[in-house]
Amino acid sequence: MRRFQSITVLAAVMMFISVNVTAQEQAEDIMKKSHLALFYAGDDGIAEVNMNIVNSKGNQRVREFTMLRLDQEEGGKQMYYTYFKKPSDVSRLTFMVHKMPDASDNRWLYVPSVDLVKRISADDKNSSFVGSDFTYEDVSGRHWSEDNHKLVREDKMGERTVYVIESVPKSAYKGFSRKVSYIDKESYLPLKEEYFDGKNELERVFTAEKIEDIQGIMTATLRKMENVKKGQYTTVEFANITYNAGVGEDVFTERFLKNPPRQFIK
Amino acid sequence: MRRLILFMPVLILTAAVFSSAVANEVNLGGFVQGLYGGGLDKNNPTPTELTASETRLQLKLESYSDAAEFFGRLDFTYDDYHEPSLDMELREGYTKFSLGRHLDFKIGRQIITWGTGDLIFINDMFAKDYQSFFSGRDDQYLKAPHNALRMSYYNRLGSFTFAYTPRFTPNRIPTGERLSYFSPMAGTIVGGEPYFEGIMPEAKFKNGEFAGRFGRYFGTTDVALYAYHGFFKNPMGMNDSGAYYPKLNVYGASVRFPIMGGIAWLEGGYYDSREDACGEKPAIPNSSFKSMIGFERQLGSNLTVNMQYQNDLMLDYDAYVAFMDPQMTPMDETYHLMTGRITQLLKMETITLSAFGFYSPNEEDFYGRFSVSYKYSDAVTLVAGANVFDGKYEYTAFGAFQKNDNAYIKITYGY
Repeated sequence: MRRFQSITVLAAVMMFISVNVTAQEQAEDIMKKSHLALFYAGDDGIAEVNMNIVNSKGNQRVREFTMLRLDQEEGGKQMYYTYFKKPSDVSRLTFMVHKMPDASDNRWLYVPSVDLVKRISADDKNSSFVGSDFTYEDVSGRHWSEDNHKLVREDKMGERTVYVIESVPKSAYKGFSRKVSYIDKESYLPLKEEYFDGKNELERVFTAEKIEDIQGIMTATLRKMENVKKGQYTTVEFANITYNAGVGEDVFTERFLKNPPRQFIK
Repeated sequence: MRRLILFMPVLILTAAVFSSAVANEVNLGGFVQGLYGGGLDKNNPTPTELTASETRLQLKLESYSDAAEFFGRLDFTYDDYHEPSLDMELREGYTKFSLGRHLDFKIGRQIITWGTGDLIFINDMFAKDYQSFFSGRDDQYLKAPHNALRMSYYNRLGSFTFAYTPRFTPNRIPTGERLSYFSPMAGTIVGGEPYFEGIMPEAKFKNGEFAGRFGRYFGTTDVALYAYHGFFKNPMGMNDSGAYYPKLNVYGASVRFPIMGGIAWLEGGYYDSREDACGEKPAIPNSSFKSMIGFERQLGSNLTVNMQYQNDLMLDYDAYVAFMDPQMTPMDETYHLMTGRITQLLKMETITLSAFGFYSPNEEDFYGRFSVSYKYSDAVTLVAGANVFDGKYEYTAFGAFQKNDNAYIKITYGY
């Protein structure tokens, strides 16, 4: 009898664990799909980007650049190329990243006024991207396997049904201690993300303000990152998006870092 | 000269109109800048206490089609730190195009840079402008333009670049007008007239500069080999007419790779002093072997630091000592130089604090560059900075400029 009881308890525990594991797997699966939808759309992509940085006094700064992206592995290695147009002190500057999910990224900067190719140490992915509220990691994505995810509930955001997922970094992390994502059930795009700091206080909020269908791919074309604590925000608008444009790997080399490929960059 | 000044803008405009007629994109830009600087040492023998009082207008024009690209940068500078003068300089004016899939050309007036060092150069034999560098002008003015033809060939082995400068282009160094310098003839730091001028090699085909580089990546490590045939870029030789640029070949190599969360670089070069093969001519520098090692990494989200060490080993040192003027102090066989840079960004990258120091333990001299830069808006940038020199002796690399300590402010409006 006693043995029977303990078997029942064991079975119940096992079931509980397996349900839990499935829930965790489901949450991780959603985060993976979301990561791919936001950062790996198509096999490559070109976009004109308009970035607006607004400080707590309401003063605006603008960054205009063209961005090329090539995915080498879905969810894995990627290459990015950025050609700056504005403001005038950074115009014609180019920036290239070879993103390595399991190692430090390789980054290059080319300063045309001195013809200088500089390699940049990329240890800190939490550095601001060109002085905005977005970090380098926000721009190229944090791999889903670095956090533990939990599906908290399903919810409504306006007309859309979302998964609400809570993510906690597996190892201590400076970027956030906890993140709550609201992921569109249909497109898997994150409609909103809340980043909590080390004191578990809300620090930054990401919102996808506008979603458009580009070549059959749902794309967040207007994104906003607000730093709630500092009272400042940055919006990023993507225009003239082309997916699967045939951007070759050779574009992401020093040759084209110094000579922007004009067939893609106007 | 005046006719040339009037003629150049016409030429640029013609080129612009011509290129815009065949191109599909034209972009204009540039900036207006005021730079005002003064010496901090009352005993500097230069004609005025100012090191800069200039207003600069830069016009930038870019025009391109799928086939070719034209780029021009033209500076007009009114400077009255001494005699009021209006100068014009074509900083860049080149055409860029590809032939086939593997060959790129860049022809015209251009800035050329290669090598791995941060503000120290071993295999980069392209002209530097130390007058600008020492007096608070933007970093882009450290490099002086070359009228050159650059050709790059890319294949599976790597990239092969060849740069030919028909007319030797020396470094721009202090002449005694804006900045004082050490004169070995006078045996002291001098300024004022006559301003120093190196004797240029004759304009002959064989007196051009030939520079080559081969580069390739092995994983994340980039490796390069370099060769140069030309002249010392500073007038380091003496003949009967004065200081001149002795003949020089340089052969070198560099590697650069990510390590320990940062980037490390190593570079070396053999300087073959062609007019003094045995080191027996005291008026011409000996051959030498130069090498450096450097490392840079981020220490925080907005803090970057780097350090470098350079070592110059003079070859045939015994011959140098045996043949030199016994009145002169001999240079050390090995020259050591350490540098450090620290850059801190604040307030969403609108404020930049920067310090760069050069220190030679054997020559016991120092050069520090300090600046605070504030981006008031996308268009307006304010900078305050200082250049500080110190040295136990007047005849060392930085000690020679020890009376040129200066501070400056700079306001830039970009458009």
